[in-house]
This record gives sequence, C-alpha cells and structure tokens, in this order.
Amino acid sequence: MNPAFRDGAREGIRDFMPMSVGLLPWAVVTGIAMVSAGLSPLQAAGMNLIVYAGTAQLGTLPLLASGAPLWLIVLTALALNLRFVIFSAALAPAFHDYGLARRLASSYLLVDGVFAMCTERLLKADDPHWRWGYYLGPSLWVWTLWQLFTLAGVLGAGIVPQGWSLEFMATIALLVMMLPMSRTRPMLVAALAGGIATVLLRGLPLRLGLIAGIAVGILAGFAAEHGLQKRGAR
Amino acid sequence: MSGDALLWLTFCLIGMTTVATRGSFILLGERARLPPVVQRLLRYAPAAALAGLVMPDLLLDDGALDPLNPKLAAGLVVVLVATRWRNPWLPFVCGMGVLLLLRRGLGW
Repeated sequence: MNPAFRDGAREGIRDFMPMSVGLLPWAVVTGIAMVSAGLSPLQAAGMNLIVYAGTAQLGTLPLLASGAPLWLIVLTALALNLRFVIFSAALAPAFHDYGLARRLASSYLLVDGVFAMCTERLLKADDPHWRWGYYLGPSLWVWTLWQLFTLAGVLGAGIVPQGWSLEFMATIALLVMMLPMSRTRPMLVAALAGGIATVLLRGLPLRLGLIAGIAVGILAGFAAEHGLQKRGAR
Repeated sequence: MSGDALLWLTFCLIGMTTVATRGSFILLGERARLPPVVQRLLRYAPAAALAGLVMPDLLLDDGALDPLNPKLAAGLVVVLVATRWRNPWLPFVCGMGVLLLLRRGLGW
C-alpha cells in the first residue's frame, strides 16, 4: 500500500472520528423505519446498499408504505438529495486527476459528514495518493458503520412488539435533520412554507401536493433571501 | 409487475438519484459550473422537502387537519429537546416516550 495513501486514510479517519457517534442513531432509526414500513430484512439490506443515503431512505419510506406512485417517490428522493449537487460541485476539483472508477466510487460514497469534515484539507492537498486515502478512509468507515448499525436497527425492530408506533421514529429523524438546516431565516421560511403548502395542497390530484409544496418552499426561501438582502442594502 | 420487483426497481431508481446528484460534478469534472442562482435555489430544496414530509404527519389525522394530536405534541418535545441538548439519542427517546405515553398510557 502506498505510504501517502495510508497516511491520508489514517488522518482522514482521525479527523472524522468525532462525528461517528452522531451517525449511530440515524443508522439504527433508519433500520427500524425500514422494517416499520414493511420491508423484509433482505429488502432493507438491499435498499441500504443500493440507495445508501439516510435522508432519501427515511423520506421515501412513508411514501413506499402508503403505496405512492413511483414517480412521486423518485422525485421526492431527488429533492432530498439535491444538496449533494452543491457538495459535488465544491468537491470536484479534488478529484480532477482521477479516472472514472475512482470518480464513480467517490460519488457513491459521498456523505454529508465526510464532506463537512474533509473538504477543506482535500482541496488543499497536492499528493493524489494522500488525497485518495484521506477521502476513502473516512468514507469507507462511515459506510461500514452505516451498514452495521442499520442492520442492528432492522433486527432490533423485529423484537419490539406491534403497536409501538415505531414508524414515528422516521418522522422524528426527519424533524431533527430539519432543525439545524432551518437556522437561517430564509431556510426557516423555506421549511415553514414548504410544510404548510404541502398540508394545504394535500387534496391535489396525483399526490402532487408534496412536489408543489417543495416548489413553494424553494421559492419562498429564495424570496426571503432577496427580501433580507434588499433590507440590508438599504 | 409483482410488488417485490417493483420495490427493487424503486430502490434502483432512488439509488440513481443518490449517485446522480453526488456524482454530478465529480463525474463531469471541472468543465461544468453551476450558475449561482441555481446553486441558491438548490440549497432550499432539502429543507422544503423535509418539512413537506414531516408537517403533514404531525398535523393531519386520516387526511383531515387535526392540530391537537399526540404526534404533534411529541414533535414539539423533539424540537425542544433537539435544540437544547446535543445528545443524538435524546430526541428519539423523548419523542417516542411522549407518543407512547399519550397513546398507550392515556389512550389519546
């Protein structure tokens, strides 16, 4: 193994380690939510391997359970994943000298925590071996933790008796995820407008209410951002 | 198509949205650039989508508006706990505790 790669991996895992603990409840809850939505352990493991995105998994499970149409499920997953387009744009320069295989692997493995902790050093480093280690080390660590602890949730949920409202765990997880996101005023406006619009538009045909609600939220947040800027400029 | 095949197809399509968004610029390389307006619009999508999933579950009962329900009470406790303490398990423990207490303990 290339020594620069090994150094990079070691440092990456060390930098990421403090975030590991926060990951565990999400993994366990996602496992529980998959079982509560009616997935078998095999299906849950499959979803976990194929999708590998906590927010998209938790967000689409209630839709899967209620038999929502395929396109609505996919569009919702896309909306929940859109933040990754920004992460991807920010991180892309760090992969400029890699081939397609590494780019594909790093795309599948990209998660919020590694992006938050590792982007700055990745963009500054020149050695391609060190960079690859620094990205792959913590990414594979997160992947392994995620797979193991979702499995723990899947198996644990099977033991809990029926009627414990375990499906509500997914709602709690989504709610907790939303809070740090809504810390700035325009974000809060986007969340409130998106949520209220979805509730009010629930009668729309083809279950368009959720998609329309998301669109309302995006525009409201953008409008609030502009309004605040104008007020600040005056 | 059988239900099971449809489910796996759904997983694959959701998985494609994961890799497509994460890989968008990593795969394209630096040739592509995102216009700043689009970047700013995209930032609001996840918060709006999360709220669009959470709020109906907290406010609706069988499709009708019902603000006084155990799930909303539990949701408010979750918000309070999550904003006040940093323990990642606490919102789940307290939220489920309140919901189970109200539903099973008090029969609400």
